[in-house]
Amino acid sequence: MSAGVVTGGWNFVIAAYSITVAVLAIYGVTLITRLRAERLRASENGESR
Amino acid sequence: MPRRYPYTIATALFAIGIYFGLAVTVADQYLHADISLGLPVAARTLISVFSGLIAAVIWLTADDLKSSRRAHALILAGIVLMLIGTWFGLFVAPPEQFMGNVQRIMYVHVPTAWNGLLALTVAFACAIFYLFNGGWKWDARMEASIEVGVLLAFLLCCQGAIWAKPTWGVWWDWDPRLTTTAVLLFAFLGILALRKFVDDPVKRAVWSSVATIIAYVDVPIVYFSVRWWNSLHQLQSNPNTVSKPFWIPLRANAFGILFVMVGFIMLRARIAALRLETEMAPPPILSNEIGEQLGEAV
Repeated sequence: MSAGVVTGGWNFVIAAYSITVAVLAIYGVTLITRLRAERLRASENGESR
Repeated sequence: MPRRYPYTIATALFAIGIYFGLAVTVADQYLHADISLGLPVAARTLISVFSGLIAAVIWLTADDLKSSRRAHALILAGIVLMLIGTWFGLFVAPPEQFMGNVQRIMYVHVPTAWNGLLALTVAFACAIFYLFNGGWKWDARMEASIEVGVLLAFLLCCQGAIWAKPTWGVWWDWDPRLTTTAVLLFAFLGILALRKFVDDPVKRAVWSSVATIIAYVDVPIVYFSVRWWNSLHQLQSNPNTVSKPFWIPLRANAFGILFVMVGFIMLRARIAALRLETEMAPPPILSNEIGEQLGEAV
């Protein structure tokens, strides 16, 4: 930082965008896998009844 | 009314929101064309915000929690908008006068904050609807909205910490805005934990609805904390305080995260609804006996 101006900082920008993409992508994947598992469980329960 | 009508209306509202929020700005800055239909900036912003909000509410309430196709389409549209927003945010928008390139974090941080608070507002509305109506769909939607809201609040704290280090010199400060956001995150995380520990679906739904209404009190406190107390965190921005070149990445990401958030809530609500169906179904032996009795009766 010099004279009240933040210089550089691209590493922080890349970190923030990477965390955003990673968190959203991982959550999206867990949603799809959990939905598949729950559908499978529901269909197994339906058959057993 | 045919089932697709609410989706058609919501899609039209999303299109209106994107037109006034994004397309008019792109046309103005890159094509030097005025397609604002003569509306001033404040009116365009209001139309954009409210049409987006109403569309999200229609999309969520019209969802029958059966098909995932529409949720996938919304998430895909959200990803496309976020790619556009990220491209403009990283490579097209100029660095800010004082914060330099670090300010580019705002293009994801601010939309995450807006949509995180919106997800928790949806949870609050679902809690009230459940307590008054008692429909299980509201319980499933509430669980989904809380989980997505917690995810966005967590992301918000991470992005904020990464921005705070180069600008404030610290990763975290017990500033009113940051503290109330942390309280919000842990309060709703506690509600998710509560839902895990209670087996009875009725008790779980009622207790978590009441807890959601109580925890939601913190949402307006988070929003107004920068005005009520002396905070390091800057005040809310508006089109008059944000330079025009910054509008496109901010708005594209805001709509992108909104679409992804609504799609995530729809998918997560489907998971909660399936789990509820399984929990509330009669045990196999009992259901076979009922089936046999019904067969005999027929």
